[in-house]
Amino acid sequence: MISRTEYSKEKKVGEGTYAVVYVGTKRSSNRRIAIKEIKTSGFKDGLDMSAIREVKYLQEMQHANVIELVDVFMAQNNLNLVLEFLPADLEMIIKDTSILFTQADIKSWLLMTLRGVHHCHRNFILHRDLKPNNLLLAPDGQLKLADFGLARNMGSPQEFLTSNVVTRWYRAPELLFGAKHYTGAVDMWSVGVIFAELMLRIPYLPGKDDIDQIDVTFRALGTPTDKDWPEISTFGTYNKIQFYPPPSREELRRRFIAATENALSLMSGMLVMNPHKRLDPIQCLTSEYFLELPEPTLPSELPKLNKN
Amino acid sequence: MSGTFQTQVMLSRPYLTRSQIKRAQQNTIPDRRVYNQKRLSAFKLLCDMCVQLKFPRKTLETAMYFYQRYYLFNKFETELCYDVATSCLFLSCKQVETIKKIADIVVASLRLRNVLKVSPEMQDNCKKRIVQLELRILETCSFDYRVNNSIHIDGILVKIAKDLSLSREVTHLAWIIAFDALKLEILLMVPQHTIALAVLKISCELIEGASWPNIRYSLFESDEPSVSEAYFDILNFFINVFDLSDLRGNLTENLQNIGIETFIELKKHAGLEKGLKEPDNISSDALLTNERDFTIRERRYVLSRKRINDERSNKHIQKKEKT
Repeated sequence: MISRTEYSKEKKVGEGTYAVVYVGTKRSSNRRIAIKEIKTSGFKDGLDMSAIREVKYLQEMQHANVIELVDVFMAQNNLNLVLEFLPADLEMIIKDTSILFTQADIKSWLLMTLRGVHHCHRNFILHRDLKPNNLLLAPDGQLKLADFGLARNMGSPQEFLTSNVVTRWYRAPELLFGAKHYTGAVDMWSVGVIFAELMLRIPYLPGKDDIDQIDVTFRALGTPTDKDWPEISTFGTYNKIQFYPPPSREELRRRFIAATENALSLMSGMLVMNPHKRLDPIQCLTSEYFLELPEPTLPSELPKLNKN
Repeated sequence: MSGTFQTQVMLSRPYLTRSQIKRAQQNTIPDRRVYNQKRLSAFKLLCDMCVQLKFPRKTLETAMYFYQRYYLFNKFETELCYDVATSCLFLSCKQVETIKKIADIVVASLRLRNVLKVSPEMQDNCKKRIVQLELRILETCSFDYRVNNSIHIDGILVKIAKDLSLSREVTHLAWIIAFDALKLEILLMVPQHTIALAVLKISCELIEGASWPNIRYSLFESDEPSVSEAYFDILNFFINVFDLSDLRGNLTENLQNIGIETFIELKKHAGLEKGLKEPDNISSDALLTNERDFTIRERRYVLSRKRINDERSNKHIQKKEKT
């Protein structure tokens, strides 16, 4: 089938290390789309892993809360990924002090995030880079998980995974200790930190560097002991860290003033140190928090960026 | 319409039948004998590289799929085939997450090819060629990540064997046979779990006292014609070149009596050779008969035929609306 080019690139909207992003149109349907043109020249190790992972994992996933990979095409020896056009992200909303949002809005964003994560995990895919900046917002209010450049299969038990994943502030304790085997629990930790950030409207665990991240994390949430996490002493760095007591419920209440008891329980459940005991997406989605009032805001009624 | 403003939609077809493969190779392989000879030495290079760089078998398997797939749609030239093989391995490392630096792969490749003095310039040139080939290889696979992703023969073989309660001996023999199966064109015809089923069946038939359970292949997401295709392909391989196979050198003591005759005997018992149904339209199949036109500006790769059909009917509606 041969016809006119299907995609037009209209405006460059961003440039990353391995791609240039354009806004464009899919001609046959007149749909607005984003085109990621993968840079192939100038890279010592050829085609970037992030590009490969993005195609690999998005190709077969279809879910309202996961970004859609519309097409893959080659043009002039360049690889192009056509993605849904999503103009805003959760970080912009959190940072924009002119936007007020309610507990019901937070519940709605968290619900959509958890649904997206649940879909990834039930397809045995770890996202490994969840943060507000990677939770994009569609014009109809739907939140979508994006940037699968660090994603990977859950892998078989004997495989070694790298612990150098997830943006620092959202990194789970097992990763801070350099674990070579981990599970979807690393994503759940990130969601917990994002939940906290939505309530505080500032980053919850902002470590200055990798060492500081360990300190910041345990100062806020308490240093894990081998009583609640028996494997902890197998990590080499464990003995060298400062011991902090876990925060009392009262301290949490004071830190998260507007949160209900159920909200606090859910957040704490996602921020359990021992990954085996941390809540999984199903436990979160069926938690009391989503049953109590207020109901989550309808996506179409969620606050939007005040565009000039 | 000018050639530079065109788009082409390619439907991914990761598996082809034997005749379809032959037809595609008519365009790309001028001398079958030379191709086969070089393929053996390219595969030897891949095996040696995997041993030296300590890659698991899945990395090798994926590289071998890429190599054979590449030459379905790209002209075979003897000079380039080792670079193609190296590039396939480099890409398969990314595919199965056993990542290695390009420099390590290039050095290993050149050394194993007996290049005595590996100069930095030689390395750089080789790197360049490998990176250039990488995208071409992916294009011949239509960027289809459904294959060679999480299922590999050696892994799934063990899982199926456990499920069917087959003995350790049967499974181990199957695992050895599967290594020979990697080098066959069967990789391009049926998915890995189907090859695993065929290999396990052969292994059961070779070991005294073991018997292949009479199962419905649909239980393992496969079917009779596909398993038969793999089964007969592997039997024929051993009947033709048992002496050159890796199986011969790796048989355990109690299985030393296995030889060509054993496989001839198995084939006799298996009855008429059967396999995948060959389609009638091979001579008019554009994917196989037309050489690829890389001048077309936009080459789109899709996984489902439904997508193409939907777009066609959309266009049809739009045209109607215009008129």
